Amino acid sequence: MLDTDLLTKAVGDLDEDSVIKQLQEFAATNPSPEEAQKAVAACQSGMGIVGELFEQGEYFVGDLIFAGELLTNAVEILKPYLGGATSEKIGTIVLGTVAGDLHDIGKNIFKSMAEAAGFEVHDLGIDQPPGNFVEKVKEVKPEIVGMSGVLTLALESMKLTVDALRDAGLRDSIKVIIGGNPVTKEACEQIGADAFTTNAAEGVKICQGWVK
Amino acid sequence: MSDVAALQQERNELFRAVHNSKIPKRVPISISIPFEAVAQFGGLDLVQAQWQPEIVAEAADRLCELIFSDTCPFFGSMRFPSFYQILDSQSFVMGSNGFIQHPEVTGMLPEDYDYLIEKPYDCLLERVIPRQYKALDLKDPVKMALTLTKSYLAYREDMGAAAPIIGMLTEKYGYSTIGGSFGGFTSAPFDFLADQLRGFKGISMDIRRMPEKVAAACEALYPIVFKQGLPANPSIYAPVMFPLHMPTFMREKDFARLWWPTFKRLVDEYASLGVRTQIFCEDDWTRYLDYLYELPTNTVMIFEYGDLRQIKDKLGKKHIITGLYPMTMLARESKEKCLDKAKEIIDVLAPGGKYIFQFDKQPLNAQDINIENYRAVVEYVRDNAVYSNPGEVHGLEFNPADYKAEPRRSFESKYFTVWEEFKARNPAVSEHGKEKLQNLEEILFQYLMYLLI
Ligand code: B12
Repeated sequence: MLDTDLLTKAVGDLDEDSVIKQLQEFAATNPSPEEAQKAVAACQSGMGIVGELFEQGEYFVGDLIFAGELLTNAVEILKPYLGGATSEKIGTIVLGTVAGDLHDIGKNIFKSMAEAAGFEVHDLGIDQPPGNFVEKVKEVKPEIVGMSGVLTLALESMKLTVDALRDAGLRDSIKVIIGGNPVTKEACEQIGADAFTTNAAEGVKICQGWVK
Repeated sequence: MSDVAALQQERNELFRAVHNSKIPKRVPISISIPFEAVAQFGGLDLVQAQWQPEIVAEAADRLCELIFSDTCPFFGSMRFPSFYQILDSQSFVMGSNGFIQHPEVTGMLPEDYDYLIEKPYDCLLERVIPRQYKALDLKDPVKMALTLTKSYLAYREDMGAAAPIIGMLTEKYGYSTIGGSFGGFTSAPFDFLADQLRGFKGISMDIRRMPEKVAAACEALYPIVFKQGLPANPSIYAPVMFPLHMPTFMREKDFARLWWPTFKRLVDEYASLGVRTQIFCEDDWTRYLDYLYELPTNTVMIFEYGDLRQIKDKLGKKHIITGLYPMTMLARESKEKCLDKAKEIIDVLAPGGKYIFQFDKQPLNAQDINIENYRAVVEYVRDNAVYSNPGEVHGLEFNPADYKAEPRRSFESKYFTVWEEFKARNPAVSEHGKEKLQNLEEILFQYLMYLLI
């Protein structure tokens, strides 16, 4: 039997060897979809611990990247046993790096943490013009739009993207959160976003607050 | 002496004072505006301007007319599309807006560590560069030789196009010929490994999965980045520039054992040769101020974020501080707020000298530049950050004899031919050719490493 607390702790400690060993032993027992789903949930709780330790200044961005990879590998091991079982989805996010910016490390960190928290994330990719955000929002009707950018020029693109969402009549039905090095309170106001953060864990909390 | 020449001399004095631990007449101001922003400011098409760099001269001139600085705000560009596109670069590509950027790509795989550690330069040339530059196809050697040559010619031409513009502006506006000049440009060994070789993600995995290899790779890269930055003619006024990338994204434990040791030794070795260092502490280095204190006296430290008071108190007597003014304020806040910020910053950082005014980031495009606020802030600093006791010595002084080089690996590779080797293979070659040939070897080394920085 899988000790879910132990698994959660190993993920939180970023103890890769232990996580993989526990999951391989678990997989060898040929678990049912429900059991496998419990293991996934335990890993996701571990990610929650990682996020907290990040906010407390114990972990840093490099550790978040490692954690994202660890979670991906863990789910990979469990996939064959999951069958049709899916976890409860708490909300939908359309996410992308805005036009003119090709950076995606920060965006990807936020994505894996948001997914671990139970969001369904539609990732548009990098250098995405406003039109692509608008199209995707029309298509999947998310509660939240997340925009990322590392360069200061991304701020202008974020503003244009919010404007485009407004012009398309979509702005009032969604919350907009922006993240990345150059975002500030002032920039957030000018852009017309609802929230800003330079901390992925905090971003996830804000999003959770919105879908409660 | 003409007014402009006198102005230039006065400005040189400001920087000479700061670099020699003396109080200048006033706080020197060093503004830099990158090529892309200059082109956009001039209403030029960014892509065209990057292919024909000479066309930005007029826009650069107009900006210099508008914005006060003691150093030339125009410095050309590090990234022209010509050589990157000829080489089909994966690591420097143009975004939809014409900006050349660096996406997250991997030039070195985990299984390359052993070879990198054994023969670092060979590994970079044989494996990393061809992975990042797809046009350098090792299976098509003739084409590859031609492509590499073509890219070098483009690099030389475009880099060369910016130099006369800088010269013209320096002469016209009497900019300092001391402030703002670098003796060299290189990376900390760990950052070199992270940026273009393993990538942000790759290195974050390696730190936990194979820390010993990461440490050994930093040792192996030391002689290469050392050579890359080493000025041909060291001067205490021309420090070597290091943009520092990874530390704020690491745990202190990992930083202390993997990032810091090779960097510290490298900078000490430079200091022992009379070469000073300028570091750009990107992001927030508050956690690491005690480490920074240990660097050689009068290291120029550009900060992006951090607490002014804490930085000044911890480092202000030993090192030269700059940066910290949030550039994004200029485009987003009222003039009053921008001036308040300037006052707040100089009130804390200027007393006791060892301070140069500069923003925390360079503007990237014309939207980042609100000329009116820019002018107001810079002129405020010029007119108000004035000292009553110029010439007084303040704080610690830099002395190369205080530093010594630790034993380390030397630079050698079959791809870097030293004179004796060349002579042995080509006995007919004249001794008169020695300097020229060694210089050419050096130029190629510098170009190839430029592709990885
Ligand atoms: C590492 C780095 C590089 C590396 C990039 C390596 C790579 N593989 O991407 C290298 C060395 C290649 C590089 C190159 C350059 N860089 Co650089 N670089 C940085 C640095 C130090 C870190 C950026 C980074 O990746 N951070 C890590 C990520 C994870 O942080 P993040 O994006 O903020 O994400 C976090 C949060 O914001 C949040 N988040 C992010 N997105 C989202 C989205 C949502 C919805 C939410 C909720 C949260 C969220 O989650 C993340 C985790 O908490 C910054 C300095 C800084 N202060 O950021 C400069 C910086 C971005 N670079 C800069 C520059 C100028 C350059 C160059 C142009 C320099 C040059 N002349 O060549 C080049 C090329 C431009 C480019 N980057 O493409 C400038 C930009 C200036 C400006 N005006 O914008 C900066 C700000 C440095 C400076 N102070 O001047 N760079």
